Amino acid sequence: MVMCRYLEMISRYLHLGVLAVVLMSTCLEAAAVEVDARLDLESVEVGNGAIMTLRISGARSGKPEIPEVENLIIQSRGQSQQVQMVNGITSVSVIYQYAVGSNVPGDYQIPSIAIVLDGKRYATQPLMLKVLGSAVASAVSGNEPSETGDDGKNRFGFLTVELASNERRHVYVGEIAPVRIRAWIPEAARAQLRSGIQPEGVAFTLHNVSDEAQQTREIKDGKRYLVVTWFGGISATKAGKYPASLSLNATVAVRDTAALKTGRPKGRAFGDPLLNRIFDDVNEPMIQKDITLKSDDQEIEVRALPSEGRPDGFSGAVGEFKFDGGEIPADWKTGEPQQIRARISGTGNFALMNAPKVSPANDWKIYPGKDEFTAGDQASFSGSKVFQFSAVPRRGGEQNMALEFSFFDPKAVAYQTITSPVREIRVSGEDMVDDKPAVVEAGPEPAKKERELVGQRSVMSASRDLMPLVFRPAFVPLLGVGGGLCIVGGLFAVIRRRLSDPRRLTQAAMEKAVKDALVAAEYCSASKDVSGFFAAGRLAIQVRLGARWNQPAQAITLAEITARISDDSPIARFFHEADLHAYGRQVGSGILPQWQVLLDEAMAALNPSTHPLI
Amino acid sequence: MVLTIIYSLLAGLAVAGESRFDQANRQFESGDIAGAAVVYQEILASDGPSASVLFNLGNCDQRLGKYGYAIHAYEGARLLSPRDSDLLANLDLARKAATAFEDSGRHPIADAVLNCLSLNEWSWLVAGSALFLGGLVLLCGFGRMRRRRMIYCVRISAGFAVFLIVGGAFALYLRRDEANRGIVLNESAVVRLSPFEKAEPLGTPGQGSIVRILQTKYGFDFVEVIGTGLRGWVPDKDVSAIHHMRRP
Repeated sequence: MVMCRYLEMISRYLHLGVLAVVLMSTCLEAAAVEVDARLDLESVEVGNGAIMTLRISGARSGKPEIPEVENLIIQSRGQSQQVQMVNGITSVSVIYQYAVGSNVPGDYQIPSIAIVLDGKRYATQPLMLKVLGSAVASAVSGNEPSETGDDGKNRFGFLTVELASNERRHVYVGEIAPVRIRAWIPEAARAQLRSGIQPEGVAFTLHNVSDEAQQTREIKDGKRYLVVTWFGGISATKAGKYPASLSLNATVAVRDTAALKTGRPKGRAFGDPLLNRIFDDVNEPMIQKDITLKSDDQEIEVRALPSEGRPDGFSGAVGEFKFDGGEIPADWKTGEPQQIRARISGTGNFALMNAPKVSPANDWKIYPGKDEFTAGDQASFSGSKVFQFSAVPRRGGEQNMALEFSFFDPKAVAYQTITSPVREIRVSGEDMVDDKPAVVEAGPEPAKKERELVGQRSVMSASRDLMPLVFRPAFVPLLGVGGGLCIVGGLFAVIRRRLSDPRRLTQAAMEKAVKDALVAAEYCSASKDVSGFFAAGRLAIQVRLGARWNQPAQAITLAEITARISDDSPIARFFHEADLHAYGRQVGSGILPQWQVLLDEAMAALNPSTHPLI
Repeated sequence: MVLTIIYSLLAGLAVAGESRFDQANRQFESGDIAGAAVVYQEILASDGPSASVLFNLGNCDQRLGKYGYAIHAYEGARLLSPRDSDLLANLDLARKAATAFEDSGRHPIADAVLNCLSLNEWSWLVAGSALFLGGLVLLCGFGRMRRRRMIYCVRISAGFAVFLIVGGAFALYLRRDEANRGIVLNESAVVRLSPFEKAEPLGTPGQGSIVRILQTKYGFDFVEVIGTGLRGWVPDKDVSAIHHMRRP
């Protein structure tokens, strides 16, 4: 009884489920395919782009065929899919976005865009885009509200950039200064970031912005914000005061408080303020905008490195560094190079760091070596660099040797020269004769760099194509020729090997001997030479049997044959006849037809295809 | 007679080319760096790429502070003479000046081995070895070698050729990205989201940065700045492929 009730219930649910699936599929199928294209702007400035959104409703796929229009640039910006379920009806849309613009002013028509779905062709309506010259565009857009974050007192949010170190408001040329970049989004807003942090100006270079941002909630000027914080580094190559302008593209949706002005007075629907706030939050419509959050033009001073106190060995390193180990051999010989290894660790701009100098400098000849940087953190502000270079001692004897490294310390605002622990070394051999003046006059920094540049070539070398062979069309045919030669050579080798195969040659010789013997037998038959006929026939059988039994032809006798083959076989019978004529000295008047038949039968019995076991 | 005339014409052209080269060198020595650079470019345009002209042009650009152009010229010269230590030293200087460093992500020894030959030399090595191997196989296919010593030599040669083909092909495979290698020429170059002059900027790679040119259209190049993951559009005038020596 209970079982029946369960079965009835299961059956009812199954029916409902099937009905729901049928209804859903009907709804999905019923959704007619529609295609629609829209431009977010009717006119754009030369060099700017409008966003064209192409929506295919009622389909999950479909590739638009974008037409070519002269001077009009249509560049894909991505594809997305939207699935909505409203009142049980599911609708699917595929949305394509394109940036459309031109570098030539004029009125452009974007023709119908065709989309083929399940063999059926759909087309959008043509669109018009006016591309304005710069002057016209600025006049037209003069009264339009700006879409940057500055509009409406940072209503949609803003960006701030500040040096991570609170103690300083400046950086030095060549220094990578850690910065904190913060995007301030109103707490009640919904934001989606559309790009990474982008530098606006060219004075600063942005380095190693952290991939993962920190999120906090903060109050600024009495407003609550969601603050997204990144860390990165900026550096400058020229002294001066420059705005550290950065920007970030985002789509921000904020509540449209003005929309309630025409309806219910805000916050007065219910007696309870909490209920009022919840009601307002739910009912206030959202305004969504694609905006560019920009930092205020916060100026950061870039100071030149002081020229006073600049050590001779200074090569541009800015930061805080220390020697972190090294290897200096203890035994040397004048004129013979050995490797020196030094590790310098710390924080700063490792890119501008050169190898440490050997002290005393005049006693050594140094060759450029290699270096390897190992980052200590994600932003590469800290880490260590290992230098490996060759040095040749000029003077013999016991000496003290050390490594020196100079850098500018921005915290101490002074040049620092650090020295590795002194190493006592022994240098064997005679002092080397100086091949150049030991002391080089110090000059200004740029001139020094120019001197290091290897001078002009005086002989003009031959002109050649820069395109490597591998990227030229001739490369594959050349390889093909090589491969073809290999194949042809291989084929020749196979043919030659087959031709010179001893087994094959033996077989051929045997066949030739058999053939010659049979021809001789035929000749003897025609000339009625009985003994010649039997001798030739016997030879033909002997040769063939010898090849089969791997014996010399002459060794095949009637005894051998009868030992292996039955006596009534044509071979044995022919041999018997042949022996009778050879040893019996029977003289006949001619070749009897049955002898010829017997020979034919014997040769047929020796055919490998018919009698393989003989 | 005809050969003599052709030879005289070619010789005359060569002398003319060399004299322009000497003239540019004299201009450089006298301090007219910009003038020398113009003459070097004219020689390149008329005679085609030459390692020494590109080297000297790179020196001019370096002296003029146009590090992106200098790196571009040096990289072009490196394609023709990859083991020129002077060239490598000057290229290193230019990169340091532009703070544009190249990190292949490979071990230094692997890098040294891969760069000991230019791409052209690697490809000729592979093609030459393939032809040599083909010729060897053809020879062996035709003729019969009876001497054991000869067979031994042939086997060693064939094995060496196969080794060169495999090794060279592997080197070419590892350096396949260099097909579309380019250099950012100007400091002001901005990578933008779309191929428009005023499209949203994504970043400033800096002069001398090495990029991979993935697409070219609308007067823009779609590039990927190597080592940064930055991808976007850069105007043609700000970037140039190394293999083509297109110099805006």
